[in-house]
Amino acid sequence: MATAIPSIACLGVIGRNNNPLHTSIFPSYDPATSSFAPVRTPLQFSLLLSSTLDVFELRARRVGLTGDYGLLHAVDERLASYGFETNTGVKFVVVVDMRGRRVDGGVVGGAGALGLREGEMRTVFKAMQTAYVKLMQNPFFEPDEHSPVAQTGAAGRRITSRRFAEDMRRIGEGWTPGVTAL
Amino acid sequence: MDEYPAGSLDPSIPFLLTLGVSGPSDHDAELSPQLKEQGFLLRSDLPPLETERALFLLRYIQAHDASRLPWNGRDSVKGVRHRFRIRTAARTVLLPPRRARLPDDVEQPPHPVVLHSPFSPLSPISPLYPDGVIGTEWIRKHQVLVPSILLCFYSLVSDPTQATLQDNQIKTDINNLRGFLSQSGYKTRLAVVLISDDTTSPLEGVQERVETIRRGCSIDTKCFFLVPPAESADELERIAENMLTTLYGVAIEYYRDLGRHARKKRGRGIAPQPTVPPTSGTSGTLSLAGWNVRYDFKSAVFAEFRVEFENALRSYDQAYEGLLSSELLEVIPSWDPRWNEARFLADVITVRYIASLLWGGQHSAAVRRWQLHHDRIADFVERLGRGTKNYGWKAWESRWAVVMANLIERAGIPDLAPSSQILFLQPEKAAMGERLQPWELLHHTGYWYRLAAKHMYGRRVLARAIPEDDRRPPGLSPASQVAGKAFAYDTYMCPDPHQEYPLDKNDDGVDHSQLIVELLMKARSEFLKRHQVRFAAELSLECAKELAVIQDWPSIVELLRPLWKDMSFRTEGWLTIVEDLSWMLRSAASMVGEAGVVVAIDWELLNRNFTRRTGWPYNIIGSLDGMTPKFKPKVHIEDGQTLSFITASFLFQDGEGKAGQSANGQLAIRSNAHPGSSPVPFSAFQIDFSGSINRVVVKHMKEGTTRRERGSVALSAVALQPAEDEAAEPSSVELDEESRSVTLQGVANLTLAAGQTIVLGMHIPLREPGETCAVALTLTIDASTFTLDQYLTFQPGANSNNWYLPTLGARRVSRTNPLSIKVLPRPPQMEIVGLTWKEQYYTNEPISLEFEIVNEEELEAAAKLDVTLSGEEAPTFTLEVPSKAAGTGSDAVQGTGGRVSGVSLGAIESSKSITVKIRLPPVLQPGEHDLVMKVVYFLSSNPGTPITQTTTFQLNIVNPFEANYDLLPRVHPNPWPSLFDPSGVRDPAATDAATVAPKGLSQTWCLVTRYASFAAEDLRVVDVAIRVQGSPTVRCDATRTVPHSPPPDGWLVQPKVIQDAAFDLVAQRATLDDRSPTQLNVSFLIRWKRADADAAEEPNTTTLPVPRFAIFGIEPRVLASASHRHVVPEGRGKRQLLVELTLVIENASNHLLTFGVSMEPSDEFAFSGPKQTALNLLPVSRRFLTYRLLPLAGGGKEGGWLKPGLAVRDMYFKKVLRVVPTEGMKADKDGGVLVWVPPEGDGE
Repeated sequence: MATAIPSIACLGVIGRNNNPLHTSIFPSYDPATSSFAPVRTPLQFSLLLSSTLDVFELRARRVGLTGDYGLLHAVDERLASYGFETNTGVKFVVVVDMRGRRVDGGVVGGAGALGLREGEMRTVFKAMQTAYVKLMQNPFFEPDEHSPVAQTGAAGRRITSRRFAEDMRRIGEGWTPGVTAL
Repeated sequence: MDEYPAGSLDPSIPFLLTLGVSGPSDHDAELSPQLKEQGFLLRSDLPPLETERALFLLRYIQAHDASRLPWNGRDSVKGVRHRFRIRTAARTVLLPPRRARLPDDVEQPPHPVVLHSPFSPLSPISPLYPDGVIGTEWIRKHQVLVPSILLCFYSLVSDPTQATLQDNQIKTDINNLRGFLSQSGYKTRLAVVLISDDTTSPLEGVQERVETIRRGCSIDTKCFFLVPPAESADELERIAENMLTTLYGVAIEYYRDLGRHARKKRGRGIAPQPTVPPTSGTSGTLSLAGWNVRYDFKSAVFAEFRVEFENALRSYDQAYEGLLSSELLEVIPSWDPRWNEARFLADVITVRYIASLLWGGQHSAAVRRWQLHHDRIADFVERLGRGTKNYGWKAWESRWAVVMANLIERAGIPDLAPSSQILFLQPEKAAMGERLQPWELLHHTGYWYRLAAKHMYGRRVLARAIPEDDRRPPGLSPASQVAGKAFAYDTYMCPDPHQEYPLDKNDDGVDHSQLIVELLMKARSEFLKRHQVRFAAELSLECAKELAVIQDWPSIVELLRPLWKDMSFRTEGWLTIVEDLSWMLRSAASMVGEAGVVVAIDWELLNRNFTRRTGWPYNIIGSLDGMTPKFKPKVHIEDGQTLSFITASFLFQDGEGKAGQSANGQLAIRSNAHPGSSPVPFSAFQIDFSGSINRVVVKHMKEGTTRRERGSVALSAVALQPAEDEAAEPSSVELDEESRSVTLQGVANLTLAAGQTIVLGMHIPLREPGETCAVALTLTIDASTFTLDQYLTFQPGANSNNWYLPTLGARRVSRTNPLSIKVLPRPPQMEIVGLTWKEQYYTNEPISLEFEIVNEEELEAAAKLDVTLSGEEAPTFTLEVPSKAAGTGSDAVQGTGGRVSGVSLGAIESSKSITVKIRLPPVLQPGEHDLVMKVVYFLSSNPGTPITQTTTFQLNIVNPFEANYDLLPRVHPNPWPSLFDPSGVRDPAATDAATVAPKGLSQTWCLVTRYASFAAEDLRVVDVAIRVQGSPTVRCDATRTVPHSPPPDGWLVQPKVIQDAAFDLVAQRATLDDRSPTQLNVSFLIRWKRADADAAEEPNTTTLPVPRFAIFGIEPRVLASASHRHVVPEGRGKRQLLVELTLVIENASNHLLTFGVSMEPSDEFAFSGPKQTALNLLPVSRRFLTYRLLPLAGGGKEGGWLKPGLAVRDMYFKKVLRVVPTEGMKADKDGGVLVWVPPEGDGE
């Protein structure tokens, strides 16, 4: 029996000023057509990522912590967002499609989909942070361009590094539940 | 949840019916007509109570109706000791029949029939007959038809005359009711409240009466209550509360009995036979499995009534599993109405199951159950039903999400309340640590409503996909198709295809959009409550899209306009969202006629960061084409309100400027519009400055202006002029702000093409000192259909800092803030000129300095003058300024302490000057002084601002002359006075030394001075003289010998050239007795003028002190003097030069001294006189000794010096005296004297 397992549907990097820095979208398995296709349009993913900012703000107001925010919210039965904030205010958001992949043979009981344990996203965040740190180490990368300190009205520019996008792609495609290193 | 039949999903709450007090609404069981006919009517014969206390009691009981309480077992409702669903009836209650009669049309079977409940599938009148499981009617039966407790109100009359009668009536009535109840077969408990009327006298006997009534009716004490008379409201409430609590126990007991009964029936393990076997249709009777489901469901509901949720859950689960088992749902064909009934029952069971889980705080389990039911039903529908690709299935999915939302609302979970700011609940303990789906953490209802909306989209998509044939009303389509439709479409709780999406547009079909919008708006309000503004915005956007489908344009504008105005997406750079929203709002606004919004959106969308819409004209001027707004819209866009495609920067070329001058500035406006969009014709730019610079307005003018263009840069120079019509413009708010609101105006070509940069260079006059900064820019478009103002503020960080050169190259200005300029105070235009300034001034000279103060301002200036003379021992001075009173004369001000301050010079007219003089008396000491002239003046245009001009002059005062001196002894010609001469004795009577002629010794000296001018220029010396300081003991006279007589206008002395002057001094002591050594105190005076001074000027006198010389020594001295004489020797005829050398030996002491004089013979001359002799000198006497020397011919001494070997020796002290030469002689190196021999032929 086929079991749905989670996969990453979208990886988002959001700057200190809540500005989008990077978005990677990954296709999910569609059992109806047996093909892979993104579950949402890019615009919808943008909306999805920006809606997580509400949650970041809510949580920050409540506890004022940084780091792993865990589950931010699940927008429906399939899509759930997980969040992480670095101490410089850059936010990583992972949108997980809980039924993005299908494996044959029941992994964990029943016809239901495989769930996620708390903290299972930490691997992804760690990998994203490593990629981001790598990006920052590039002497030609100017963080201030992407997240201006002064509120000049302009939100920062997006990340254009091909290597960073490649890293994100690797992370998004490489992750499955239970993976401990990316 | 509202779509389910009434009561089917309501929580099970014990049902209490009051009887005997007419409440606001009488209980109506809403029985079906059939049942009504067969129903039992309970009737009380006594009139309903209308006393205040009875009504109060009833109101209290009604107020504690629990059917609206949150459905959870939390602390907040734990204090509730009873839960009742309260209904009131006045005197009659209609109960459904316990046993349903056989319908008339059914054939009477031969054997006696066993009648069953009308709600049972056994009774033919039941809709369940013959094989249904259980229906809503049964649920309703226990919720609103059959009460667990019938609470009867009676009044206890206090009047003793009527008491017995009334009591008996009550007794009879109660017994009647009891009789009815037992007849009906229901086990409803009867409870009685006796309310004493107000006037009841003390309770004596009452207790007895009450007891009698109770016994007479054989009612349990637990169900019998007495309300004593004259109790306060509080007391009444307490009584009612106690009563309800007691009755709650009774009610629980009632439901326990029912539950036991249901379990007993299940335990029998047989399927009961229906009253009559079914005759119609193909269906058989309900199978045993079906009966078990029915009994389990009943047990569960009764357990729910008892708040025994563990039992309820177990029974529901059993019922659910039984229902979905292979024996029940699996075998029901999907076209059978029982299929939908079974699905409905499964829904009901699950809803009740979830409600029970939520009651127990098992939130994640609740979501799981929700999901499980969904998945299982999906599986069934897919396998056995019409499939999930069906609008009916989507409708159910949507409904299923709404049901969950409603359940969450009903449970009223405090942790999920908006105030808690929690979006979802953490899993309960039992579920922790499992691999949970994120969705299984119970989210707030907003998410559920949104999910419902999402399924509603799916429903619409599938409804739209219905082929036209199926959309015809059944009457219009062939029968075969009708049959086909029945198999193709899932119509579980939703309309048939022809109603879902009617072919005829005029028919009222399902308005999907309306349903979606309702759901989205519900969700949106939940998100807004929890400050999820972005999520809410997303929903608004979705909502708007739906509204667009139904063309409800005003609602879209209403919904999106506030969002568009201040959404965070714009500032945070989520451009795709901004874009989507803008297009949506634009299309709606253009429909509604909101021209201002349309223009503003078109303006923003010109930004090329947005995706270009193909085929869109991108022409701001034509933005309102096709619209006819009522009035010309005036759009004002604040900075940051939209993502402007225009970036503006301003810079001053220099960081500093001076007031009164002008500064170069450049305004650069860059367009980032979509390539190919129409150029934007601005009508004006307005730059606002902080500080003292005026506002600058540049207006558009194409003709007559030139701009230099290269590449994308267009540079124009703008000539600025003060606006003339300033006053005519009443809207200028700064008119009252004195004169600085003057606006500068210029013209330039302001058409900005896409990607172009307009650079406007301008000279901006600076008026007042201080920091001034370009602050903001307003761009105006004045089109025929609208006006648009875009306001931009200059940001120092975002400024491009490029200075465009006339060649259109750009140079980067690296100042930190090129937006601002520091305006320095205006430079003073007042000059101070030294008119007669000289490089050097001299001591002993009165100094007069003349200055001219020239006003080079364009205006008259009122000036004041400060003069400070500083330096070591600054001399006092006098300042002379022209008198204010008249053109002539001047006022003199004495400088004290080296300074004069605040001397008013009066008003100096423009380009006029005045002259002031500073006079210094002759200065004795040389030195260097600083003369500081400070003019402080005020211009008549700005009397408040002092302007200062300071000029410093260096005043050098030096000594004009220096000199050195020699004092040479001479022989005094007069004889010395004799000691023995009585005339030399001083008259003791004469005390005044001055009047007494001196009688003492005399000496003659010659003072030779050599002086030189140390001035830098020629000086004219008028006279030189000696001043001898008088002494009481010595009289001294001086006579100048060299130069004899100065020319009348003195002689010109060149610098550093030594001049000689000689003076004869004759000194005489006052008395002969005086022997003390005496010093000569002499000063040398030079009277001089500057070379260019006029003759009338008084000469200056420089006094040089001469070092002191000692005269009148007491030691003897020898003076030698020589004189020349020519003699003609006899016989030779040749004139011979004879030198007469005279020795004068002076003995000024009081001793007799003896001197030996010797003359050495020499080859150079012959001499006459003693070769060796001894002279005795008396005290205070002198003797002359004369030698005649004849220089020998051939000696070669003519015109040379002779050196006679002359020696004078003090015989007593054995000491050689030095011979001191006088006139015509000089001293030799080794102490001897040299005598001058004039050359031949000289001296005649």
